[in-house]
Amino acid sequence: MAVVSCPECGADVEVGDDAIVGEIIVCPECGAELEVTGLDPVAVVLAAEVEEDWGE
Amino acid sequence: MHSDPVMLLEGLVSIESFSGHERPASTYLADQMQALGMDAHVDEVGNAIGVREGAGEVTREIVLLGHIDTVPGDIPVRRENGTLYGRGTVDAKGPLATFVAAASQVDVLPGVRLVVIGAVEEEAATSRGARHIAPRYQPNYCIIGEPSGWDGVTLGYKGRLLIDYSLQRPMGHSAGAGASAAEEAVSWWNALSAHIAALNESRERLFDQVLVTLSDINTRSDGLTNTADANVGLRLPPDFDIEAFEETARQLAGDASLRCYGYEAAYQSNRTTALARAFNRALREMGEQPRFKVKTGTSDMNVVGPIWNCPVVAYGPGDSRLDHTPGEHIIVDEYLKAIEVLKRVLAIVQDGMASEDGSL
Repeated sequence: MAVVSCPECGADVEVGDDAIVGEIIVCPECGAELEVTGLDPVAVVLAAEVEEDWGE
Repeated sequence: MHSDPVMLLEGLVSIESFSGHERPASTYLADQMQALGMDAHVDEVGNAIGVREGAGEVTREIVLLGHIDTVPGDIPVRRENGTLYGRGTVDAKGPLATFVAAASQVDVLPGVRLVVIGAVEEEAATSRGARHIAPRYQPNYCIIGEPSGWDGVTLGYKGRLLIDYSLQRPMGHSAGAGASAAEEAVSWWNALSAHIAALNESRERLFDQVLVTLSDINTRSDGLTNTADANVGLRLPPDFDIEAFEETARQLAGDASLRCYGYEAAYQSNRTTALARAFNRALREMGEQPRFKVKTGTSDMNVVGPIWNCPVVAYGPGDSRLDHTPGEHIIVDEYLKAIEVLKRVLAIVQDGMASEDGSL
């Protein structure tokens, strides 16, 4: 289990050992969605917003 | 029996199944699922249902809920340069056939039940098939069969409300002082639009806005009475106050009759559930960056999501911009890739459930 700093609020965020690059995790402090961008060392950035699309 | 998934889809789209007339297509699909090793039947409302169970007592359930009905419009079924044309190829027999192919090919672990459902009347405001099955299942995971693109995953859909407006006025001379029924109907529409524009103020994302369409407006006269009729469709954001809106719409309509119906609340899941993570992992295993999205339309996710309260996403091959269009088609290669993605997702999700149960 790695611990990184939330880029939004600075809180500690745990990243599980089974995480993969691209995984989305949530900061337990501020609720920001973070994307895992690296595993060695573990790195996260604020995740891009969910896309919007027309139709069903 | 079509073990070739392309033949399966082509056979399915070759059978017309407009909403309310799905029985022949449901029978075909149930027969295909049975031949592919599933325990299949057509239920009392016409849903095609296929089940596979792993060994032992079932403790976990995954429901793959597609819909077998389509909107009207006969599109000749043909294959051309790796593309299959036909009504429903995208919305949503392509996603449904993806479910059948993947669920029939993947290993089912002990204690797991896979259920594939081709529901009736999703394209009607009734969602009859989904409402029928909703109290009969309580899955741990649910995937809705709608086109997200093979590399996309849909997390949510807007809600919906339909309004029928009707106003009658006695005939009068056109040089008279009173407003005509047509003028009053137009005034109501303009006032309603202004109210919605105010609700949307400072809301930038489409998913967060109320989207409104004047679907139809017409007037008629029998010589004594003028009648104006209008139909309005609304797509609703997650925090929409339906009661307050209906009250305002009725106040603005004065003495016109207003019928509000077909209401569905918006529903949105998130990217951090085990199911969304499984799609993330499966797509990245295939070298693709997943695209998570929310949609302006409505699907059976709106019906079963709040009832089942489990991780849910919508998935299926196809470009949703082709929904309901005369050129509806699916790229066969994309369809086959989606089957591979879904097989991986089902394997990952089952592994996760087995780990939770301590059976691995």
